[in-house]
Amino acid sequence: MSIIYVLIPIAIIFVMIGIAIFFWAVRSKQFDDLDKEGFSILFNEKPATTTKPEDQQPPQSRES
Amino acid sequence: MLQQRCFHCHEPVPAGTDFHCEVLNQPQVFCCAGCRAVAETIVAQGLSDYYKFRSKAANKANAVPAELKTKLQNYDSAEVLQDLTEQVDDAQRIELSVNGMSCAACAWLIERQLQQNPAVKRVSVNSGTARCELVWDADATPLSELLGQITELGYQASPFVADLEEQNFQQEMNAYLKRLAVSGIMTMQVMMLAFGLYFGEFSGIEAQYEGYLRWVSLLLTLPVMGYAALPFSSSAWRVLKARQLNMDVPITLALYYTFIASLYATVFDTGEVYFESVCMFVFLLQLGKFFEFRARKQARDATSNLLKVMPVSATLWDGEHGSPTSARRLQSGDHILVKAGETIPADGVVESGVSSVDESMLTGEYKAVSKQSGDLVLAGSMNHDGILVINVRSALTESRLGQIIALQQQTLHQKPAILEKTDRIARFFVQRLLVIATLTFCAWYFWIDADRAFWVTLSVLVATCPCALSLATPTAVTCALAQLNRKGILVKNQHVLDVLPRLSKIFFDKTGTLTQGRFSVTEVQIFTPRYDKAQLLNLMANLEQQSEHPIARAFSPYLQQALALEQVNLHVGAGLSAIYQQQQLRIGRPGFCGLDPQDPRLAGVQVCFSIDGALAATVQLADQLRPEVIPLVAALKQSRLKLAILTGDGSAAAPSVAQQLEISELWQGCSPEQKVAAIQQSVKDGETVLMVGDGINDSPCFHAAHVSVALDSGTELSKNQADVVLLHNDLQQLQALINGSRRARTVVKQNLWWAAGYNLVIIPLAVCGFVSPYVAVIGMSCSSLLVVSNSLRLLKA
Repeated sequence: MSIIYVLIPIAIIFVMIGIAIFFWAVRSKQFDDLDKEGFSILFNEKPATTTKPEDQQPPQSRES
Repeated sequence: MLQQRCFHCHEPVPAGTDFHCEVLNQPQVFCCAGCRAVAETIVAQGLSDYYKFRSKAANKANAVPAELKTKLQNYDSAEVLQDLTEQVDDAQRIELSVNGMSCAACAWLIERQLQQNPAVKRVSVNSGTARCELVWDADATPLSELLGQITELGYQASPFVADLEEQNFQQEMNAYLKRLAVSGIMTMQVMMLAFGLYFGEFSGIEAQYEGYLRWVSLLLTLPVMGYAALPFSSSAWRVLKARQLNMDVPITLALYYTFIASLYATVFDTGEVYFESVCMFVFLLQLGKFFEFRARKQARDATSNLLKVMPVSATLWDGEHGSPTSARRLQSGDHILVKAGETIPADGVVESGVSSVDESMLTGEYKAVSKQSGDLVLAGSMNHDGILVINVRSALTESRLGQIIALQQQTLHQKPAILEKTDRIARFFVQRLLVIATLTFCAWYFWIDADRAFWVTLSVLVATCPCALSLATPTAVTCALAQLNRKGILVKNQHVLDVLPRLSKIFFDKTGTLTQGRFSVTEVQIFTPRYDKAQLLNLMANLEQQSEHPIARAFSPYLQQALALEQVNLHVGAGLSAIYQQQQLRIGRPGFCGLDPQDPRLAGVQVCFSIDGALAATVQLADQLRPEVIPLVAALKQSRLKLAILTGDGSAAAPSVAQQLEISELWQGCSPEQKVAAIQQSVKDGETVLMVGDGINDSPCFHAAHVSVALDSGTELSKNQADVVLLHNDLQQLQALINGSRRARTVVKQNLWWAAGYNLVIIPLAVCGFVSPYVAVIGMSCSSLLVVSNSLRLLKA
């Protein structure tokens, strides 16, 4: 059982690291807008820059 | 036939229009050129993912007017930039307030669009608060270009400066999050160790391990006591210094007593430790406070775009050329040019030009006032159709608008105070608890069993621990706020729910609150056999579509089919003309339409419509009551509330509205100062007063009333200052608000009765020493759980 003399302090160190990371996240404004971050996974990281051929045709209704 | 809906904004597509564009490889139909232009931009930028993932339809995008570009260029002037931005390294940082965002996908869209510009260093859009933080190189790309790009996506962005209070709110929010994290994570750790100690209690544990676990628990509890619980202890200390008592006093007392007892037990290796209770108590209380604070902050942020009412830029006029400048730097004697559709940036006198000006936000008068040379104009009012050259008389801070804002700052500190119910209960409860605890300690120490005195007193304090009492109100309030929020009622001040059940009198503003604040067509008379009423109205709507005048907007609901009009001409201060199927159409004043103003058919008529010089129709316009007002007023009267109308409008429209609603108390033609005085008089007479308004002129009296309510259609300033904002512009929600507050009060009462009843049972037992500290902890947790679940019922209501 004397292993807890080692394991518990290690656990405490991990807790400290966790709290430090959380504080950093709060400071870098990651909690300011929770809705948007939930969406970020849905979107492509890079916007698709290659336009598809059909996009290059002007829409017929332009002049109407 | 199934009505087609616009792909972009989901509004019905008017017949006879033909706007389409290919999105996500599917042909789509749009309602107007504006929406299609936005969709084309989105597709061209490769951002069509937006349409896949958005959770709400976009707002209808109006076609970008050509003059917007020049309007935006005013922001490029070095003086304006200096006032609005802050220098970050070699770039500028600015905060923008974005109109028209409906969901998180909008935030993504704006970010992506701006990121494609190489001059933009950083952009972060907050979908909750509709703000955008932008860091960019102003030398490479002017601000107007970036604002223009946002406009192309169908949003309107304007520079914004967050006020000090809001920055404090943000910091406090971060502090809440950190405290919550510390107390939450530590609670988990200490609870884990406590389980070791619980099992040790039953199956035996070696003294050295028990001591070790206790010391570790103590160590882990220290940051909770020293950091996370700080707001409670500092609040309690503040109150005690003022010789008062609030709910934080018993909380702090219980926390410290439990902690010190556990500390004593750890150090001297005797008795029981309660570190896990301490941590959990702090965590639960912090959680409740955090949710409440977050709800309030969101409500605040969504409504505090204050600077937008203050005109930002102005055009200096030297007789021939205009040069942009910051509105704040205008001095008395400067000459400025104000174009159609712009906000007048300073109080002054018209030097030349003719226009009609909308001063409704300042005076409550909804009809546009015509201005010509020599007339006085006010900062913050809107110039409708003509170009004015104005001689500035006073700087922005000394203008009427500035004065109203100053008046409202003054009243801010005069908010009628209402003693919070929980504080009264706390005072009652704490006094008795302290007396009982002291008596228990003395009785046990001197007469019964001196050794057990300390532990019996502890169990009295823990068992009666004010957890349930202190959770009773905040949990109920938070749940009620969340429920109201869902209905579109933003409550920014927590005292609102406390005060509303006691409400006795409601003051209504007239223009824009009871009425719609805009013209609508009330009566049409037809003098031509060739068209029926719908056709004529459609024709008129097609013509009026070309104008920005408030009268013109009255016709927009009647636009059914787009017609091919030619040679459309706008005549300032008179009307519009056009050619349709070789006929000369004219709409406007009788003289403009080529009619004799003495004609008896035109008596009292506001708008005439002529075809080839012959009278075709006359239209009556009025500011109509909101449709929901009549049932609302009836319902409020039934619940025996006194009603009054408080308006700046001095015309005959005010008595007619009062008569229509059968409201006998009418204050009309009031200046903002008189409005404040009227409300303060009522407060002095012992009434609990609610004020509903929407204009800048209402905002000072918002602080004079106990509770103030603004509509989302109101001015930014009024929304910023109000305690409650009704998001759906539906006054009927006032009823929902009052009912919600009554339900919250019922639940709070139940909670308090339960907490008090529980204490009445447990205190005698604890005093007699029948309650071991463990039982006390279980009792406390159970009663807290009961209170919380009772409050949660409010969410379902």
